[in-house]
Amino acid sequence: MPDNRAVWIILGMALVTYIPRALPVVLLEKLHFGGSVEKFLNLIPYTAMAALIVPGVFTVDAAHPSVGLAGGGVAALLAWRKCPVMVCVLAAVAADFLIYCVIG
Amino acid sequence: MKQQFVRGLRAGVPVVLGYIPVGIAYALMARQAGFSAAETCAMSFFVYAGASQMMAAGMYAQGAGVLAIVLATFILNLRHFIMSTCVANRMGPGETRKKLLAAFGVTDETFAVFTTGPRENATVPCFLGLALSSWASWNVGTLAGALISDILPPIVTASLAVSLYAMFIAILIPGLSGNWRLGALVVLTAVCNTVLTRVMPSSWALIVSTLVCAFAGVFFVELEPESGEEAEHA
Repeated sequence: MPDNRAVWIILGMALVTYIPRALPVVLLEKLHFGGSVEKFLNLIPYTAMAALIVPGVFTVDAAHPSVGLAGGGVAALLAWRKCPVMVCVLAAVAADFLIYCVIG
Repeated sequence: MKQQFVRGLRAGVPVVLGYIPVGIAYALMARQAGFSAAETCAMSFFVYAGASQMMAAGMYAQGAGVLAIVLATFILNLRHFIMSTCVANRMGPGETRKKLLAAFGVTDETFAVFTTGPRENATVPCFLGLALSSWASWNVGTLAGALISDILPPIVTASLAVSLYAMFIAILIPGLSGNWRLGALVVLTAVCNTVLTRVMPSSWALIVSTLVCAFAGVFFVELEPESGEEAEHA
């Protein structure tokens, strides 16, 4: 039975994840947006990213907020200096690795 | 058309490089939670939504039911409705069938790259290329993680947990330079989401703060005209 459970979880998740992704395609063919709505849609990438990062980054390791702070801080600093995404990601992981080495 | 597709594949490079470590991190979590290697990979193949896959692994480990996991996934991924609306809007009218395929490839990262990228790349084939390279790398990362999960030391697994956030940060921050109003909006959203997370489930807080703050931003943020300086994004 445990096998079955995983299969249903995967199928169910696949379905409920695809529906919100596909619905706008169907709906949008019938809609058209003007200036302010367009601006609203263009701002959403920035607000969505901000909300995805904070406060989640501080709870990467709920017991040690410094882990998220250090990793996120390193990524932010390098991103500000226009480093490529992978450099930021690897540096953040390396920073956290060092922290774990120190705090055990 | 073909050229746009190749451009999309290339625009996916930053996402690809980010997805591989995050895919490994997810696979390690899923294997620890009790999913088999095949189930771990199947979830990445068919669901393709990193944050919810990690959440599902966590819930599975705690013995949550099928319905609870599926419902939580639905709520967490409702944000894709907003993102997919932006992506579909930017691709312009027509080509519905290809867009239905493209919709499967809408993630936080492909959405961010596509909607902040240069205007001349705002086409269906370009998004399909971006989506394909991203989806493939997510599955490559997952496969790698599922295979090495038994031999990797726990300290490496723990260090990989930050990679998802590091990728978001690395995509967001370069877009803010030279536009302090946009930076202020980002800070406002972060504060708003932090407060809301204390009073409602975090997936709802995410959706509410994204929408409310973007609405507020309409009144005080000026977005740069879509040309010139954004070319360096590609």
